Amino acid sequence: MKEVPMSTCEREFILKAIRDRKRIDGRQTYDYRRLKVSFGMERGCCIVDLGDTKVLAQVSGKIEEPKKNRPTEGSIIINLELSPMASPAFEPGRPTESGIEMNRILERNIRDSRAVDTESLCIVAGEKVWSIRADVHVLNDEGNIMDAASIAAITALSHFRRPDVSVMGEEVTVHSPEDRDPVPLSVHHMPVCVTFAFFDQGEFLLVDPNRSEERVMDGRMVVGMNMHREICTLMMSGGMLLVKEQVLRCSQIATVKVAEIIELIQRALDKDAQARQAGEKCGFAESVPTNKITTNRKEATAIDTTAAAQQASQVIQEAGPVDKPMSNMLVQAPGTVQIGEGLVNTWDVDDEDMESEEKEGREKSVTNGREAVATSKPTERKRPVKAVSHAEGSDSEEEETVMLFQGDDETKSTEEPDSTALMQPSNSDKPAKKKGKKKKAAQK
Amino acid sequence: MAVHITLPESRKKSAAPDAPKHLVTPGDVITTDTGYMRGHGTYMDDDKLKASLAGVVERVNKLICVQPLKTRYNGEIGDVVVGRVTEVGQRRWRVDVNSRLDAVLMLSAVNLPGGELRRRSAEDELMMREYLVEGDLISAEVQAIFHDGALSLHTRSLKYGKLAQGLMVQVSPSLVKRRKTHFHNLPCGASVILGNNGYVWICPTVDDEKVESSGGYEQDLEPVPSTDREVIARLRNCILSLATHKLMLYDTSVLYAYEASRQYQVKDLLQPDIAEKVADDTRQRLQMESG
Repeated sequence: MKEVPMSTCEREFILKAIRDRKRIDGRQTYDYRRLKVSFGMERGCCIVDLGDTKVLAQVSGKIEEPKKNRPTEGSIIINLELSPMASPAFEPGRPTESGIEMNRILERNIRDSRAVDTESLCIVAGEKVWSIRADVHVLNDEGNIMDAASIAAITALSHFRRPDVSVMGEEVTVHSPEDRDPVPLSVHHMPVCVTFAFFDQGEFLLVDPNRSEERVMDGRMVVGMNMHREICTLMMSGGMLLVKEQVLRCSQIATVKVAEIIELIQRALDKDAQARQAGEKCGFAESVPTNKITTNRKEATAIDTTAAAQQASQVIQEAGPVDKPMSNMLVQAPGTVQIGEGLVNTWDVDDEDMESEEKEGREKSVTNGREAVATSKPTERKRPVKAVSHAEGSDSEEEETVMLFQGDDETKSTEEPDSTALMQPSNSDKPAKKKGKKKKAAQK
Repeated sequence: MAVHITLPESRKKSAAPDAPKHLVTPGDVITTDTGYMRGHGTYMDDDKLKASLAGVVERVNKLICVQPLKTRYNGEIGDVVVGRVTEVGQRRWRVDVNSRLDAVLMLSAVNLPGGELRRRSAEDELMMREYLVEGDLISAEVQAIFHDGALSLHTRSLKYGKLAQGLMVQVSPSLVKRRKTHFHNLPCGASVILGNNGYVWICPTVDDEKVESSGGYEQDLEPVPSTDREVIARLRNCILSLATHKLMLYDTSVLYAYEASRQYQVKDLLQPDIAEKVADDTRQRLQMESG
């Protein structure tokens, strides 16, 4: 499927930002995106996350006949898959020109630089050798597949363990993993690719371009290098010309970047080795984070409560004596007390979705309900229930703030406006008629 | 920086006042009666007529077809489309119109600068890039349809051609109503082109006389004043809110949505609850007018 063409506005915006030495995602010119390497349960399975670009590599081994001209060497095969899962721009079936190009770079990088020793893969010269195959699948394309694929390939090859083989004369025994521990491949060095994107005919360069930068770039250069500052691959594509100083500068930058990346890979490999040795759980289930939002945690902030404390003590002094507590309370269970006889709920709160337009209507119905209740059950409630109003002028994000208040002085000041505060139900049974009148006045 | 967060709410059932339509999904049996002819979006399985698309069943006498809810643009001759040039080829431009294939705009189907009428020569071919380059937006009309389904466009009238300053909104093609005219000069101070392919172009109102004289080649690149920009931004948010709530787009509905949105700030129209309110108000008003 052809990609939706980028609008000229967006293209100009990205180019203008690059000319101002700014990148759309806020990185610096030589910054890589967040790089994460995780391993699966199986040996030789590795997922590399470079920002949003996600690449999976899986290494497997097979015993085969060697090539006629190289009877003592095994073979390393690297296969890069660009499926429509990565991006709708990739078509299923035959690989495109760019796909073949990337595959060749990966192969040159690892195979031609002799990163993995092929002589050690020989079992019986001329007859049986190991053929190691690394399948690299791009799971998501958000720019710079090349780097992510190269990291995934070499890491998976370092992580892989092949079954141990012993040769007794003519007999070849392949030991199962239970018999003898699998043996690692002999990886001499780790070549990693670093991609540079060029803009304005080579005047501006960026490291690790993302998807939109890739669409706008003039051309790219890929430098494959290892820890010992040896260049394993050098490839330039796109319609542009580069001066030799630029090429040298890029290789200098690549040395720094490759050192960081290889350190990260080593750390990841060590951590995985430790986890496996200690018998801890390893695999993607552990390393892939579950993106859950549980609560909005914030640190506790100190609040100055002296003013509130003073106000509270003042209010308590002004208020009259507390009525005597009621005696008709039944303790049902620890923490549950019953007052009254469990009759119909006269609070008239239906559901929490209250719009402000319905507020008045609801208040009217509450009034009606209240009066009806008052007439029907005169013995139960002398001073019926609360006004239901909204926290006016509250800036809270929640729309369902319901505030039940009694129009009492003591409760008004100490209450926070955006909490659903159900006031003391015990007060409802107080036979305080004067409070009822005040309450109706407050409600109007 | 203030961040606006909305909590998840249960979706309210929209008051759909129209008569219940016959909605089908791929594989649903439409009818077992064999007397019907099958149209687009259907196929015969044994003796049953089944749907191959998700959409509404439409019946015209003996013809049954399924109109899909979401689809790529299927061009008809005479449609007005807004498209983006993707390629400059030999005597033609390829234009992306949100269809299965890119449309073709032949060199012979555009007006020459100055409005001359002559045969296109080799120099004209070399000057193609002076007029339209990759990334340019144009408004055009569908002239013909090729055998493979690709559209052939033309910009032979002075109201079509390269689009200058403005804003493009992409909505589903099924939401744009087929009308007599798709170019509207809204009284709120902006012009709108509702392309049948779902690409909507909003721009500041241009004087018609200016366009006529230059032959459709001059682009007005003067800076647009900020009041016009606000009107255009508001129109864009209104059109998006109408599109998300699946209301048909035509000049009246866009105008009503604009008026309903006047009480909110332009940026607030992007919030889902306010967008829903605007869409509901528009729907109610349209119903009152019609029924």
